[in-house]
Amino acid sequence: MIEISRLFPERLQKEIECALTNRWETLQEIRLRLQQPIELIFNHSYEHLSSLVPDKRDFVHIIQQLSDYSLYRMEEELREGYMTIEGGHRVGLAGRVNTLNGSVKAIQYITFLNIRIAKQKLGAANKLMPHLYHNGYMNTLIVGAPQTGKTTLIRDITRIISSGWKHISPCKVGVIDERSEIAASIKGIPQHNLGLRTDVMDACPKAEGMMMMIRSMSPEVLIVDEIGGKKDVEALLEALHAGVVVICSVHGYSLEELKRRPGVQALLEKGIFNRFVLLHQKSPLQYTYTIFDSNHRNLSYAKMEGYAT
Amino acid sequence: MIWVGAMLFIATTTWIGFEWSNRLANRPKHIRQVKNALQILEAEMMYSHLPLQDAFYTIQKQTPFPIHAFFDRLYKNMNYESKDFQVVWENSLETFMDISCLGKNEKEILLQFGQTLGKHDFLQQQKHIQLAASHLERELEAANEQYQRYGKMAKSLGVLCGVFIVLLLL
Repeated sequence: MIEISRLFPERLQKEIECALTNRWETLQEIRLRLQQPIELIFNHSYEHLSSLVPDKRDFVHIIQQLSDYSLYRMEEELREGYMTIEGGHRVGLAGRVNTLNGSVKAIQYITFLNIRIAKQKLGAANKLMPHLYHNGYMNTLIVGAPQTGKTTLIRDITRIISSGWKHISPCKVGVIDERSEIAASIKGIPQHNLGLRTDVMDACPKAEGMMMMIRSMSPEVLIVDEIGGKKDVEALLEALHAGVVVICSVHGYSLEELKRRPGVQALLEKGIFNRFVLLHQKSPLQYTYTIFDSNHRNLSYAKMEGYAT
Repeated sequence: MIWVGAMLFIATTTWIGFEWSNRLANRPKHIRQVKNALQILEAEMMYSHLPLQDAFYTIQKQTPFPIHAFFDRLYKNMNYESKDFQVVWENSLETFMDISCLGKNEKEILLQFGQTLGKHDFLQQQKHIQLAASHLERELEAANEQYQRYGKMAKSLGVLCGVFIVLLLL
């Protein structure tokens, strides 16, 4: 966790390390607000460090560390409102926003920081893989509400496909990572383990990215996160016609609910997906998934692995 | 014996005079070097989008002594000496002042400039660089003028002072 504690000024660093001693494992977020005590969020609880109130100087220090003393290089990040640091951790930024012609130009005064600890769950998709493979990988749609582990699962699927499992040899995988969540790339270098045969198009709009990837990298499997828009769906159909296997995730609570969504509806009607994986969060840290086939028959139900309980 | 002492004394004052004149001649030269370095820094920031440390590395490779030493020290000590960039900048500036012929005003300009470095977006950063450059330009003019006025005088003044004191004492 050195990549996180190095961000803080010495004074805060010591205290935070003290407060966390052996709880790094369960830590999810560190939240800093100017003139407010630091907040730590764990898997099951949260607490305020009342003795630790960051002031302006601390914020300047942290931001200097985040930007390598070069804030001028963070134009993009200051517009998007988040940045990825070494190790795939994410830092969310908020504060006073500067606008130009009505669109956000940059966050000028950063007064709120949210450091989200990234934890790759190796093996989350272990039990799932046999259901996605039958004489080759099958087009799969992963459905889940926010915070049910969609991205975690899709990341692990990517890793397993591109490094192979049991008797199945590794495949070329192309990842379109529009929100830099799957690979958490910094300057194009993935911070998570995605296997040996994975190519990542980082921060690229999905619709264009899929076509670019097919043209340039000839992937056997395409991985896409959070489809939804009409354009995405069109590009997805295009990709399927190009003979590429697509595994993608979508926001949703149930298959029935998905059928009512205009964009996704078209996809379902065409019957192009052979497998559906529906995710549920039973309780904190208890993630389960149900697998359906193209006729919406229930194939299997399992707990996601890789989570400590 | 007295003559030997007198000669030594005159030699010393002459040397002091030459040194003074040398400083006067070097000051505009060094200011110009700093200005050039700022220009390189601007280019590295605006066009190559390099982080400060990498920019310092490029600058120290392209500049002559003594400005080279300043950026070399910055490059080597960032993250190492202190995590606070301001401290590294100030310490490097102190060492730089010892080896260069820059005056107090230039030091103040650079000190102010250091406080803005890496804390703004492109446009602001560029403005700060240009502001520092124009301040330096003004100092450069003053330094040139000073050299024109006192440069030759400093040399002869050294010799003459020596002779004068020797004559008084003899």
